[in-house]
Amino acid sequence: MHRPSVLQGIRDVAALAPPLFAFGVLFGVLAVDVGMAPWLAVAASLIVLSGAAQFALVGLLPAGAGAVLVAVTGLALRHVPMSAALARLLPAGVGRRRRLALAYVLVDETFGLTVIAARRPGVVIADYKTGADVVLVVNWLIGTTLGAVLGRLVDPTRFGVGELFPLMFLGLAAPLVRGRRAWITAVAAAVAAVAAVTVLPEAWRVTGAAVAAALVGSRVRE
Amino acid sequence: MSELSLVVVAGLITFASRASYLWRRSSTVPASPFLEVFPLALFVSLATVGLAAPDGTLEVGPGIAAGIGGILGAVLGRRRILWVIGAGAAAFAVARLV
Repeated sequence: MHRPSVLQGIRDVAALAPPLFAFGVLFGVLAVDVGMAPWLAVAASLIVLSGAAQFALVGLLPAGAGAVLVAVTGLALRHVPMSAALARLLPAGVGRRRRLALAYVLVDETFGLTVIAARRPGVVIADYKTGADVVLVVNWLIGTTLGAVLGRLVDPTRFGVGELFPLMFLGLAAPLVRGRRAWITAVAAAVAAVAAVTVLPEAWRVTGAAVAAALVGSRVRE
Repeated sequence: MSELSLVVVAGLITFASRASYLWRRSSTVPASPFLEVFPLALFVSLATVGLAAPDGTLEVGPGIAAGIGGILGAVLGRRRILWVIGAGAAAFAVARLV
C-alpha cells in the first residue's frame, strides 16, 4: 500500500463525510418508516451500498418487487461506464480480488474523487480509492444505524439534507470542467437532465441524461 | 419475494454493474472520448436533477439558488469542492429565508 495515497483518499473523502452521514441517517429513518426492520436497513446499506438504489428500494417497496428491481436496474446501469472509466485508470498489476473490492464500493462520490485524483502526479489510484472507500463505508453504515435505531426522533430533512446533497456532485464536477469538450459536456448534461425530468421515469433520469451528454461531449474535438 | 431477498437481488444487480469492467484482471478497456467525459456528465446530471427537481418535478426554488451559488463558489474558489458546497449552502439558506 502506498501510504500517502491512502491518507490522501481519507483526507479528501472526509470533506464529503458530513452530508454523506446525514444522508445515511435519512435512509435509516425512511427505511424504518416504511416498515423495514432496523437490522435490514443496515444490511441494505452493507449489501447494496448505493444511496440512490436504497432510496428507490424503500420508496417503491409498497409498489412491489417488480417496481423496485426496474428502478434499481435503471440506477445501476450508470455504473457500467463508471466501471469502464475506473478500469482504465488501474494498472494491469492490480489483482482481481482487489478490483472486485474496488467495484463493491464504486459509488458516485469516491469515483468522482478518484477521477480527480488521477490527474495529480504520484497518486496510486487503487490505494487512494481504498482509503476513501473505507471511510465512506464506515460513515454510511454508522449513519444508517443511527437513523434506523433513532427512527422518528431525528428528522434530517429539517437541515435541508435532500436539497444540499446534489451540491456535492456539483463540487465533484467543478474540477473536471476544463477545456472546450468539458464545457460542452457540462452544458449538455444540464440540458439533458432538465429534459429527462420531463420525459423519463425518475429512476432512469440520471443514467439517461449522463449517457446522452457523454455521447454529445465525446463528439466534440478539444 | 421477502424484503431480505429483494435487498440481496438489488445488491447483486448493483454489484454486477459495478464489476462489469473491473472484474477483468488486465486493463483491456480502450481509451475513448465517451469514458473521458462520462464522469463529468454523470455529476452534472446528478446535481441538476437533484437541485432542479428535488421532489421529482421541475421547480424554481432554493435548489436553483443553491446551484447558482455553487457555480459562483466554483469560480471564486478555483473549483474546490468545499467552496462549491459552502457557497451553494449559503445561497440555499438565503433563498429559503426569502
